[in-house]
Amino acid sequence: MTSTLLRPSGRPSRRSSAGADGPARARSGARRRRPGYWFVLPAVALFVIFFLYPLLSSLWQSFFSTTGGESTWVGAAQYLRLFHDPLVAESLFNAGLILVIQVPLMVCIALGLAYLLNQSWLRFRVGFRTVHFLPAVTTLVAYSLVFRVMLATDGGAANQILGMVGIAPVDWLNNEIWARVALIASITWRWTGYNMVIILAGLQGIPGELYEAARIDGAGRWAIFSKIVIPQLRPVILFSSITSTIGALQLFDENFILTGGGPNNATLTPVLYLYKVGFQQFDFGYASAIAWLLVAIIAVVSVVQFVIMKEKK
Amino acid sequence: MPRSLKLAAPLVALALLTGCASGGVPSSTGAKLASDAAVSGQITVWSWDVAAVALKRLASTYTKEHPGTTINVVDIGYDNAYDKMSVGLQASSGLPDVITVETDHMPAYIHQFPKSFTDLTPLIGADKDKFDPSKVSASSNAQGQLLSMPWDSGTVALYVRTDYFKAAGVDPSKLATWDDLIAAGVKVKAATGHALISTDLSTGSLFQMLLQQQGQGIFTADGTINLTSDAAVKALTLIKTMNDKGLLDNVKGWDGRVTATKNGKSAVMPEAVWWIGTLTGEMPELANKFTVVPLPAFTAGGTQTSNDGGSTLAIPTQAKNPQLAGSFVKFMLANTDNQVSMMKNEGLFPSYLPALNAPLFHEPQAYFGGEKVYELFAAQTPKIPSITYTSDNAKAGDIVANAVAASVLNNQDPAAALKSAADQIATATGRKLAQ
Amino acid sequence: MTQTLKRLPVYLILLIGSVLSIIPFLWMIISSTHTTAALFATPLPFLPGGELWNNLARLQQETNFAQVMLNSLVVAVIYTVFSSVVSAMCGYGLAKFRFRGRGLVLGAVLLTMMIPMQVLLVPLFQMMASLGWINSYQALIVPFLANAFGIFLMRQAFLDFPDSLIESARIDGAGELKTFYRIVLPVARPQLAALLIYTFISQWNSFIWPLLMLNTEDKYTLPVALNTMIGLSRVDYSGLMLGSLLATLPLLLVFILFQKQFVSGLMGGAVKG
Repeated sequence: MTSTLLRPSGRPSRRSSAGADGPARARSGARRRRPGYWFVLPAVALFVIFFLYPLLSSLWQSFFSTTGGESTWVGAAQYLRLFHDPLVAESLFNAGLILVIQVPLMVCIALGLAYLLNQSWLRFRVGFRTVHFLPAVTTLVAYSLVFRVMLATDGGAANQILGMVGIAPVDWLNNEIWARVALIASITWRWTGYNMVIILAGLQGIPGELYEAARIDGAGRWAIFSKIVIPQLRPVILFSSITSTIGALQLFDENFILTGGGPNNATLTPVLYLYKVGFQQFDFGYASAIAWLLVAIIAVVSVVQFVIMKEKK
Repeated sequence: MPRSLKLAAPLVALALLTGCASGGVPSSTGAKLASDAAVSGQITVWSWDVAAVALKRLASTYTKEHPGTTINVVDIGYDNAYDKMSVGLQASSGLPDVITVETDHMPAYIHQFPKSFTDLTPLIGADKDKFDPSKVSASSNAQGQLLSMPWDSGTVALYVRTDYFKAAGVDPSKLATWDDLIAAGVKVKAATGHALISTDLSTGSLFQMLLQQQGQGIFTADGTINLTSDAAVKALTLIKTMNDKGLLDNVKGWDGRVTATKNGKSAVMPEAVWWIGTLTGEMPELANKFTVVPLPAFTAGGTQTSNDGGSTLAIPTQAKNPQLAGSFVKFMLANTDNQVSMMKNEGLFPSYLPALNAPLFHEPQAYFGGEKVYELFAAQTPKIPSITYTSDNAKAGDIVANAVAASVLNNQDPAAALKSAADQIATATGRKLAQ
Repeated sequence: MTQTLKRLPVYLILLIGSVLSIIPFLWMIISSTHTTAALFATPLPFLPGGELWNNLARLQQETNFAQVMLNSLVVAVIYTVFSSVVSAMCGYGLAKFRFRGRGLVLGAVLLTMMIPMQVLLVPLFQMMASLGWINSYQALIVPFLANAFGIFLMRQAFLDFPDSLIESARIDGAGELKTFYRIVLPVARPQLAALLIYTFISQWNSFIWPLLMLNTEDKYTLPVALNTMIGLSRVDYSGLMLGSLLATLPLLLVFILFQKQFVSGLMGGAVKG
């Protein structure tokens, strides 16, 4: 079960296999390759047309600066600008904060919940699963309005509940620190159940025999968890981690609607910033430059994450 | 070479050859509109909220008077309307024949897409002077061409809770200056415990309103940054003073302000004429508790109004039927009867000054205990100071809002906060500070 | 008895999680049954009111909600079916076949995940304009059929699949596509179900792109239609909450339906390594 992420594949055989049937299986090399092309072809074609072209276009645009309807070539100036722009730094810091706090928090909770839900003796499993999945299914508009109402400083549900246990009301959306807390809480609320479902799918793919064999060998619950479940779940956890990481670094929806990036840019993330630059200041070149910086960072973080999880094996 | 890449290569080359450069070629300045040309065919109009309702209503009147024409009004909602329009402007396609653009968004569009809007001057000629001057200036380009037609005005006045003022023993009609209002606020707080104003500091809109009242914007007429002026410091100091005296109620967002007003958290609300719609719609139980007076002046005898909001209608140059579009826009906006009907039915306060003479504006309003509030707004509308927006208003607005919060909530000296904001805007936009 | 005691904390934790997950929905249910004005009052109502039918009627009248719901359904179903096929095929190709350029394709897939969609909006919009696809459903469906998350998910699923079974199928003379469809795919049922759910939900809730693409009310999908209820000086909160609630129900249905597939995943243990 090795995953060859970036390792080059072997040299192609010069023979081409005739068809997919017939007893001459010796050409397994070439045979292994050509059907591979056909399977990936639709995705690749779509990718090239609808992704690569706009992508190259955005890369091209990042070498221009647009003001007053005129675009002028500025070379790498937009990229250099990135290093002098305090908002770029601030947005990266905010994204990093969310990455470091929210993602592990959420994946652990999701893992825990999935594990609990997977217990064979559990009743109301469908009910629990569905309820936890509900948040992921809400439309963005509704979810943000509801949270804004609930987090309102005066009379919002959150502060009313706090009041019941004697805590003073928190200025959730107007205070820099609390706004970040509120953002992390709302992202976690929204996506934990979703990740739980995916991890649960992985859990249920673990063959029962493995558990049986371990139990016969006298392994305790913790040993089973750490030596059987986690390793078996590795691909799924990896998937969950990487997608959550990318989600955190690319955070846009939640803060766009909940806080608009404020207060005082405390919840500004790179994608929200590039969106503002592109759609409110119409400097699409700079927006593209920000995007490419982000891509580079995400790529590095993802590779690091991948390598770490591989090493743990 | 793997087959998949073999297929891809020519496609990529094709894409590069066809030029994946920035947004398509902006079209020329658009059709030359004639004032009374024959019209036919169909147009599509984008708008939101009550504006869309008004458009639909008047569109059906128009098509009855002009058989053979069809007008499709689409409500695109307000929340992301500008994203939709910006993309269409950038790509030079995808926009309808008529779009709704708020007055304060128009300068940025004019600057960024100078060739994307049709000149509307031929439609109305000298009638241009019959509109609210602050709106005409915001809708025109440097060459004096009118690139969108003013629709409704956001004339600002002060809505006062008469019961609170009565309890404090203050007469709302005697508020000549902001200092008077602050003194009144202190009394109201002592007598009723209520704050003076509920506002969302994080938007900075109160500050910009106060600044415009003094005839200034974030930028001067020649595009330099105006935040270090006396007027700016005065405006911010005013807000800070209010907060220091416990007179400010900081809420979040539109819903925050509506809730605060409904619950009577504060005694006054400086806001535009369209606030009346919210009052009558969401708070019918508060009828007869409000009066409307002009804004207190900064110095006795100074301007007592400002602007907040108000929209315009524009015809993108990519419109397929600009002639019909122009005719319809003129029908809607440069027309006394129709403007009056929009006031009556949709609560849209005309920026077409002749309309303000209609009897409707002199009628007593039941919600305000029989006061003729529209007379007040009508009298103030021609006095709204014109300001310069520039294309950097959005960027600057964010920075200014942060400075307002920093000064008011974190106790920073207003002049220092504004200077810091000015420096940030200078860095972000490359403009210079005003001397 | 001790077994029950041991199990109690588990139920408690799940119960807390459930309550936290559900609170905002309770608010949505409450808001759907009051007038908007009532929602601004203090104290906030915490029992349902009697405005459900009025709000529903207004919702239908203002947005033609039934039509919008149907639109969302059509788009989401078509997209889910085709996109899942593309993802599954591509994931399988990447997992089980060694071919020149495989690394490149995989890298490209990961790259698409890392690019924020917001930066592609303008060029993609122009492309749709030149294809004449503005205000069409092709524009919503086709450009995003190749979905990186889906491909990644399916690839992870197929990596686990024992090669021996595929080999034996080949030896038995089965074609690649048949092998894929009859033998491999059914075993990946849990992941496939997750993929279908994920794809359907993401398309159903897809917002920015349909917002930019759809220009006539009869074509609007749910998120776009609901968003038009946010006006400039008025927000129809109660209608919006009701619409959102109704928009959530089909997603719940899809989820509940495909949950059963997860269970059959336990049977997938029949495949021995």
